[in-house]
Amino acid sequence: MCATRCPMDLHPGQALGAIGDRNFMLLIRLSLRNLLRQKRRNILLGSAMAIGVAILVVANSFSHGISDIMFNKIMRYVTGHVAIRFNERGGVMREIFRDRELAFDALKGEPLIEEANESIGMFARAIGNGRSDNIVLVGVDVKKAGKRKDLKEVEESFRLVEGSWKDVENPAIENPVIISEEKARYLNVKRNDVIRVRFRNMFGQDQAARLTVAGIMRNDNIFMQPVVFLELPREKELLGYRPWETASIRLTIKDPQKNAAALADRIHARLDNPGPAVIYAAASGRAGRRPVVLLGVKSDDESKKKISGLLKLSAGSFEKVFKKDGVILPVPLARTLGVTAGDSFTVSYTRKFETGPREASLHVAAVCGAGDYPGPNVILMEDAGFYDLYYEDMPAAPVSGVEPYVVPADGPWGSLVAPQWVLLKRTYNTDDYRKKYQEIARNKWKGTTIDVSTMYETASDILKLESVLNIITISAVLVLFFIILLGVVNTLRMTIRERTREIGTVRAIGMQRGDVRDMFILETFFLTLFASTVGVLMGFASMKLLSLMTFHPVDNPLGMLLVNGHLYFLPTFLGIAGSVLLIIGIAVITAWFPARRAANMSPAQALGHFT
Amino acid sequence: MKLLLTVLVPLLFAARLHAEGRVAPILRAIDDNYKMKKDVQAEVTLTQQRAGQGTKIIDMGYFRRDSDDAFLIVMKAPENEKGNGYLRVGDNFWMYRINTRTFQHINRDESIGGTDAHSADFETRKLDELYGAVVDSSGTEKFSEEMLGKVPVNRFEVKAKVNDVDYPRQIYWTRRDNNLLLKQESYSLSGTLMQTAYFLKFTEIEGRFVPVKQLFIDEFEKGNKTIVEISNIVPGKLDDKLFTKAYLENLSK
Repeated sequence: MCATRCPMDLHPGQALGAIGDRNFMLLIRLSLRNLLRQKRRNILLGSAMAIGVAILVVANSFSHGISDIMFNKIMRYVTGHVAIRFNERGGVMREIFRDRELAFDALKGEPLIEEANESIGMFARAIGNGRSDNIVLVGVDVKKAGKRKDLKEVEESFRLVEGSWKDVENPAIENPVIISEEKARYLNVKRNDVIRVRFRNMFGQDQAARLTVAGIMRNDNIFMQPVVFLELPREKELLGYRPWETASIRLTIKDPQKNAAALADRIHARLDNPGPAVIYAAASGRAGRRPVVLLGVKSDDESKKKISGLLKLSAGSFEKVFKKDGVILPVPLARTLGVTAGDSFTVSYTRKFETGPREASLHVAAVCGAGDYPGPNVILMEDAGFYDLYYEDMPAAPVSGVEPYVVPADGPWGSLVAPQWVLLKRTYNTDDYRKKYQEIARNKWKGTTIDVSTMYETASDILKLESVLNIITISAVLVLFFIILLGVVNTLRMTIRERTREIGTVRAIGMQRGDVRDMFILETFFLTLFASTVGVLMGFASMKLLSLMTFHPVDNPLGMLLVNGHLYFLPTFLGIAGSVLLIIGIAVITAWFPARRAANMSPAQALGHFT
Repeated sequence: MKLLLTVLVPLLFAARLHAEGRVAPILRAIDDNYKMKKDVQAEVTLTQQRAGQGTKIIDMGYFRRDSDDAFLIVMKAPENEKGNGYLRVGDNFWMYRINTRTFQHINRDESIGGTDAHSADFETRKLDELYGAVVDSSGTEKFSEEMLGKVPVNRFEVKAKVNDVDYPRQIYWTRRDNNLLLKQESYSLSGTLMQTAYFLKFTEIEGRFVPVKQLFIDEFEKGNKTIVEISNIVPGKLDDKLFTKAYLENLSK
């Protein structure tokens, strides 16, 4: 029997009754009291477990922090939680939509949207004082940013060491900009110095400008160091946007992880099925003037083949029709205007955003004599040339009294007429998104393409990176725990050996095998639970200490893992609870085997055991 | 690299220009000269001087087919560029990289090989459609007759009619006797002088004057300039197999 007061020294009646009823509370009490019997051994083992849990918590919080930095401190400012991208005429850099109001209409009635901003960035060559380098000009809407509730976050990400964000909108300064400390150093410029920049505007024209350094910011992210902030309206003007045009739009929304995909789907659905691009014009030829409808026709190989099959030409050739600016008219209209293939005529139409009509001279490539022509007053134009006209001067809606043109629904022209825009399919990971933009780069579309995507989809690789980091962490911690668990098994074996006669006694007075096993498992469970709790606290303390350290990385990509020069951790309840449950689960499973061995001993053998 | 277009387009020039007016007729005449009459091949050497970066010499072979505006550029020097190439057939423009032996499709506004040239620069469009005369408040063209060194020239200013050209404003100095372009200043949208080009030496090939030595001065980033020399110009029908991916690949083997 126990030399000192044994936790198993219970009154037989009480013990039998309680254990016989599988009083779980009693088992818990017994387990807890047994833990205290070997304080030093359990404290040492628990410490090892706590260190393991602390490492797991810190590593998990760090990898989650990386994702948070990438998504919420970089991607959010670059693409927004949800991005609506426009690319005109296959130009990957030509991010423009000619009707700003129409684009923003698609966002109306969405309470989840906190902000909708135009997103503009442009590579430029900058010349400072005797030094030159590449920069990225980024438009920032300071007025909007000043009202934002998360202004503090912006200031944390781009800390100003000189000047203020308000200076960017100072009309007294010539193109005021905020530049990173590193870039200012490289270009040898200080506050109020002038940087000359050259870049290509939205349409590929060479543009030059003088920028005044109004502020200098410090940013630890190496990828953000080339960024130079310029007030959005000034940047739009420099890049050639007109007031009614918009760049791609980035949305900041509530609870993005939960809502982004659904919101993107809804916006995508609203933009689906654009109508045909139509110009209501008046055509003038030698013989007369007549109201006409100008439509673009697709010029991909499949469409060319279909159109060639639908129409019978009385003059001209399809080869000329499908060249840029190629125009085809039906015979009656050609007669009214007094033109035939090879002749020119003018069209004039009211513009949507500017006063005065737009006039253009068109060259008749062919005249259609028979076939399934889409309308008697319709002029068909090859899409590349048509979009040049359509986008440069957006046409006004038809005046009252003029019936809006409707493409015959049952005919083939619905798929052959150039649409107002081309909506790209939704993609859900980085690879598919990349492929989609490779398609754009192949000039597949002559019109403006619209893409709707969330930052989780365009940068799904970041989520993969987080998963990989977590797997690496868990693998490393599991190796550590394998060593710790050897200690657990060894400790249990020693405990069982030391308490063999005690096990015999309790078994002799009625404790069941299952209860003996459960008691040892509960001992391990509580040891791991207490160790995990301490480990979590140690993890938080470690994160606090680590985040107090300041780093000053210069030109080091690892700087992007820092926030304000400090390591960034983002512990999550799920991450921590998952780690603790994993450790407890492994420990309990490991304890089950020696516990079963103890439970399977016969009382007679156990009582006769001498060490 | 953007210079390549300026360098190679004159290969298509024919020197029969009309003396029927001022800016528009000269532009139309230049357009007429752009029309290619035969396939052509030539060797081109670019000597690039960059401020603080020394001199870089680029040698390339240039092949052009008139029927579909196809062209092939094969890099011969420097050593790290040797075997690389650019091929355009129809709307497709590819860049070939010998180290990976892969073709990459180039978008019309994509930079070529990290240079300032873009795919769109190689599109053949009529100068007359792209630019028109600049007129002053009285409606008079900005046109004058002056001397460029010892050569009597016409000096006139043009502005872009469309918005997707490199330079929205340019000033040309053309010979009064045959309208050969001798000097060209290119301005940005904001009116900054970005580049000055001098066409220093011409040679006559099958009745056309081709500028075989040209100097391009970067006026924005001082100290940068490029000298372009064209040699071994051979007009005449080229084998269609030249304008294929396979040919470019086989060159590297």
